[in-house]
Amino acid sequence: MIDGLVQLFIWQGLGELVSQFLLPNIPGPVLGLLFLLGYLHFKGSVNEPLGLVADSFRQHLGLLFVPASVGVVLFLPDLKTHALAVTIALVVSVVLTIAVTGLVLKIFWKATHHDE
Amino acid sequence: MTNDRLPISEIWVYLSGNPLFALVLTLAAYQFAYIQYLKSNRHPIVNPVGVTVLIVAVVITLIDMPYKQYFEGAQFIHFLLGTATVALAVPIYRGSKDLKGKLFPITLALLIGSIVSISSAVLIATAMGAGNNIIGSMFAKSVTAPIAMGIAERIHVSPTLTAVFAVATGMIGSILAPYIMNAIHLKPWWMRGTAIGVGAHGLGITRAFSINDEAGTYASMAMGLNGVLSAIVLPAVVSYFRG
Repeated sequence: MIDGLVQLFIWQGLGELVSQFLLPNIPGPVLGLLFLLGYLHFKGSVNEPLGLVADSFRQHLGLLFVPASVGVVLFLPDLKTHALAVTIALVVSVVLTIAVTGLVLKIFWKATHHDE
Repeated sequence: MTNDRLPISEIWVYLSGNPLFALVLTLAAYQFAYIQYLKSNRHPIVNPVGVTVLIVAVVITLIDMPYKQYFEGAQFIHFLLGTATVALAVPIYRGSKDLKGKLFPITLALLIGSIVSISSAVLIATAMGAGNNIIGSMFAKSVTAPIAMGIAERIHVSPTLTAVFAVATGMIGSILAPYIMNAIHLKPWWMRGTAIGVGAHGLGITRAFSINDEAGTYASMAMGLNGVLSAIVLPAVVSYFRG
C-alpha cells in the first residue's frame, strides 16, 4: 500500500517539476500520468502495490473533490440566478456528448469492419 | 491551580480552528453518503459526492464557518486529487492492452464528443446569458473533475464551479446514459463503455463496472484519454479565442 503510494508521489513530483519548468500549460498530475503510462508500457505489467492503490483511488475518487465542490456555497447566488441556463446547458451537453461519441464509434466501426 | 472546566465555546473554537474538524466532517459525511449509495444499489441519483457536498455545505453554513476556514482543513484531502490523477494511468494501461485496432476510432470519437460537449455547453450558457463565471467554467467541465480543475486553473476560470459542473455532468450522464445508448442502438460493451466514460466520467465508470467489466475498463480508459487530450489542447484553444 505505502509502496504504491510512494510510486505515485514520485511520478506526480516528476510531473510537477516538468510542468513548472518546461510545459507550464499542462497540469503536473497529467504529465505524471503520462510518465507513469510510459513506464507501465515499458515494464509490460502493473506491479501489485501500485494496482492496489490505483484501484482504491478509482473507487473513492469522488471523496477527493468534495473540498473543492463545497466551494459551491460561494457561488450560490450566481447559480440561483442562472439555474435554468446551467441546467439546460449541462443536460443538453451530456446527452449530445454521449450520443455523438457513441454514433461516431458505431458509424466508423461499421465503415471499416463491414466484412466482420 | 483551578480545575475549572473549559467553557464549551472555547472547546468549540479550538476544535473548529483545527484541521481535524474539516477532515472528520468530510470523511464522516462521505462514509454516510457512501453507505446510502450502496444501500440504494448504486443508484446514480444517490451520488455519494453530491450527498457529501450537500451535508458539508449545510453544516458549515449552520455553524457559520467560512469556506476558507473549512478548506484549510480539507486541503489535505484535496491534495490527493493530483495523486489520484496520476493513478488513472493504471486503468488506461490496462484498457490499452487489448485495444488492437480500436485506439483510432476511440480517439476520434472522444475528440468529436469532447468538441460537441464543450461547444454545446458554452453556447447554451452564453445564449442564455449565464454570466462569465459560469460560461468560463463550462469549458473544462467535460472532463473528470481532478483534471478539469487543473485545466480551470490554467485557463483562469473558477476551479470550484468547474468541479461542481463536472460532478453534475457525471450524475446526469450516468442517469441518462443507458437511455441514450439504447436510443441510438449502441450494443457492443466497449462502445457503451467509451461513450459513458467520455460523457459521465468517474460516476459513469462506476456505473459501467457494475454492469460489465469490459465496459468499465473502456470507460476508465476513455475518461483518462479524454482528460489528457483536453488538458493538452484546451488551454491553447481558449487562449486563441481570447486573443
